[in-house]
Amino acid sequence: MSGGDPTDTFRQEAQELLEQLEQILLDLARTPDNPELVDSTFRALHTIKGSGSMFGFEEVAGFTHHVESAFDLVRKGKVAMTAALADIALAGKDHIRNLIERPESADAAAGQAILARLEATVGGHGAATETKATEIPAAAAPEAAKAHWHVHFRLPEHALATGTNPLLLIDELRSLGTATVTPLLDKVPPLEALVATECTIGWDIELQTEKPKSAIEDVFLFVMDEMDLRIEEIAAPKPAAAPAPAPVVAAPPKPAAKPAKTAAEVLKSGSSIRVPAERLDNLMDRVGELVIAQSRLKQIAAASQDGEFKSISEEIERLALELRDTTMGVRMVPIAQLFGRFRRLVHDLAVELGKEISLTTSGEETELDKTVIERLNDPLVHLIRNSIDHGLESPEQRQATGKSAQGHIHLSARHTGDKVLISISDDGKGLDRARIRARAEENGLVAPGAQMSDSELFQVIFQPGFSTAQAVTNLSGRGVGMDVVKRTLDALRGSIDIASTPGTGTEITLRLPLTLAIIDGLLVRVGQGRYVIPLSAVEECVELPHEEEGRASGRNFLNIRGDLVPFLRLREMFNATTPPDKYQKVVVVSANDMRVGLVVDQVIGDHQTVIKSLSKLHKGVGTFSGATILGDGTVALILEITHLVARGQRERTMKLAS
Amino acid sequence: MAKTILSVDDSASIRQMVKLTLSGAGYDVIQANDGAEGLEKAKGAKVDMVMTDLNMPVMNGLALIKELRKLPAYQGVPILFLTTESDAGIKSEAKAAGATGWITKPFQQDQLIAVVKKVLG
Amino acid sequence: MAIWQGKRSLEVLTLTLQGEKFALEASRVQEILDLVNVTEVPGGPAFLNGLVNVRGKVVPLADLRLKFEMAPTPPTIDTRIVVINVLLEGEMTTVGLLADKVHEVTEMPAEVLEDTPKIGMRWRPEFIRCIGKHSGDFIAVLDIDRIFDEGDRGAVAGQTNVPAQDAA
Repeated sequence: MSGGDPTDTFRQEAQELLEQLEQILLDLARTPDNPELVDSTFRALHTIKGSGSMFGFEEVAGFTHHVESAFDLVRKGKVAMTAALADIALAGKDHIRNLIERPESADAAAGQAILARLEATVGGHGAATETKATEIPAAAAPEAAKAHWHVHFRLPEHALATGTNPLLLIDELRSLGTATVTPLLDKVPPLEALVATECTIGWDIELQTEKPKSAIEDVFLFVMDEMDLRIEEIAAPKPAAAPAPAPVVAAPPKPAAKPAKTAAEVLKSGSSIRVPAERLDNLMDRVGELVIAQSRLKQIAAASQDGEFKSISEEIERLALELRDTTMGVRMVPIAQLFGRFRRLVHDLAVELGKEISLTTSGEETELDKTVIERLNDPLVHLIRNSIDHGLESPEQRQATGKSAQGHIHLSARHTGDKVLISISDDGKGLDRARIRARAEENGLVAPGAQMSDSELFQVIFQPGFSTAQAVTNLSGRGVGMDVVKRTLDALRGSIDIASTPGTGTEITLRLPLTLAIIDGLLVRVGQGRYVIPLSAVEECVELPHEEEGRASGRNFLNIRGDLVPFLRLREMFNATTPPDKYQKVVVVSANDMRVGLVVDQVIGDHQTVIKSLSKLHKGVGTFSGATILGDGTVALILEITHLVARGQRERTMKLAS
Repeated sequence: MAKTILSVDDSASIRQMVKLTLSGAGYDVIQANDGAEGLEKAKGAKVDMVMTDLNMPVMNGLALIKELRKLPAYQGVPILFLTTESDAGIKSEAKAAGATGWITKPFQQDQLIAVVKKVLG
Repeated sequence: MAIWQGKRSLEVLTLTLQGEKFALEASRVQEILDLVNVTEVPGGPAFLNGLVNVRGKVVPLADLRLKFEMAPTPPTIDTRIVVINVLLEGEMTTVGLLADKVHEVTEMPAEVLEDTPKIGMRWRPEFIRCIGKHSGDFIAVLDIDRIFDEGDRGAVAGQTNVPAQDAA
């Protein structure tokens, strides 16, 4: 279901709803005095109307709206439910069904007639309001001149409890232009009286922006009516001092669309320049070094008493992170350009081999680092060629097995967590396990009789010295073998997975990290060594309950809200010799839908981690994916979570077996 | 770390659209069909933001918001609700129940992402 | 056994490991550092157990004393890290070596250099390029490429008493 098209799901859903609706209406026709049935009718119509407009069925939404309004009146007691009304609704339901299933042949006149009958029955209660017009974007075209604004705001004390984050409001204001932010601490109580969940800080912000006042007001859209807000234009002839909460604006309640991708925004504004990739690389290196230096500064600032120094350090940290994000953004390009090239490739190959092939793609807008995209070109070409050459059958073969003559390849890309997933799937004949197995044994890559799962067997394909192609065809045997594909992915710190069903098809999934260079990390201490855990893998941190400590090598499981989570004692794994910290922490990480707790002495905190590759000499140590340099100049290893999770699972299986 | 969003809606097509849109934007998405299932899932997972429809069977959105705010783990977690009309009444009721903000239906994918970024960052 | 086609002199860096003098080809030496913080790599090969920060680059640190079956002793103020370039699988890789003491860069003229004897050596001949006499001592010139080569990663440099036993 997760791979389906929501519009198709909507059609299915709507059909089901309409069928249910029919039954309810038939019941209502017999027993009109049933408020529950009226309610159900209203809800069903409401859902159809809402989803309809979401998925582009405007006529459906418009028509349903009227019927829904009628039933709204009924459930509010303003109009009585009658068998006649139920009848009209049934006709309405049929019309809606036509609009969804056969929009071309739906009879508009019939629809109008139904609405007329409806109006006649329930009219006169101010019911049928027009479906609201499509909203216009709240942020009007930017004015040419920059204006200076003074924004003063103070949230109600409970604002934090209802999920409002003043920092995000400030960030949004910053995104409108140039801002200078001053916190107002006059209402902050002394430390003893301070309640962490109350917001007692106010803010004064000087903002220079080309955007209109409505854009500024939109920032406060959700909190507008219960806060202290003043927005005044400075250096304007007569600043109108409007005290206390600004009235709810008449602008349509669509939130100011904060640009999701800075790079995309830059492109839209019309100007772009070509930059040699090398310059970008240099820029990235400098940014990496800046991040390291800044974390050193942060360390020193943390130990300092100088308030001004600390605040400058924070400012630099903020700027460094913004710079990091922006430069990372600059290198991100949509995978569409890669997918685009493949259309031609597939076409040409299909012609050459006399096969009929259709290529579909999804997720073209998924962005990846530029260098990653370039390096993926060859492996993807090879995989697609493989699929066409060996996977997809000729039209005759396909028809002989009851498939459509045309073979299908689907390329997709999407983000998940901190990774990008790229998959190539075909509906060809799938992988021949027996032949792969035989060849693997022939080449000594697999011991005869060794038990392996399908996915393990398929991984053997990537080992050098393996090839099942009977004849090295012109296409696939060209020196870009599967082992090169694997090596390219390894160099990108990615992984590749194959799933295949004989006769049905094959799906190859590439998993790549989103960034090669800098990640958010969690710095921890195990014994005397410090290690970084990629924050994207971290779910939470808990304390190791005391009774667990005593159970050396016994049951290594934690109960976290009813879930049994196995844990690994990193002190044991890393041979820590110093005495353990009294309260051990467990960092719960997840990988491949499995969770594992990593027991450490201390969780130190967030750390901007500039990734340095490990030398070739240490490549075999699977536990670590790389290293980084900490603020004090020492090296810390970055944990490879997938590996640790697998190890945890193995040790757990072994313990359970013994 | 990727932020987790709990999406509660009785419409499968909306759930699917929300999941596709938000996971494409880098969030992890958990789903529930109604308020009761939403509450269960909220208790069983670490969620950074909740998005809920209001009209649902078993337990509606308003009740869900109230229940969530009773949980200590959900103090301070942004909760968005879906609303179809620019109905000031529903909005203030939901806010009184503890909601953080709203999304107006029908919405396009980029509008959804923009609102989520607004309250979640 | 290393054959020294000794036609020219060799510029070397001399150093001491546990009282024994060795030499490295100077052309492979990048720099010499004082001892800095070493991060342990749990699960890494024993003699390559550490990582150090060399001007922003993460470099593995080798303790050759382990390769040469010497007992490691705690560092002293003379201990240095010699950062060298090793040819590994066709690529130059940066590695650090721990040395108890570093002496000098000097020239060993061709005349004093000899082929490594096959027997009678304390150390496995594969790890020695040649030996030469310098300032009264016999100094073994290390073949660093070989020492770091994959196949010998686990092997130890000292000779066992079993004669004529080839490396696996």
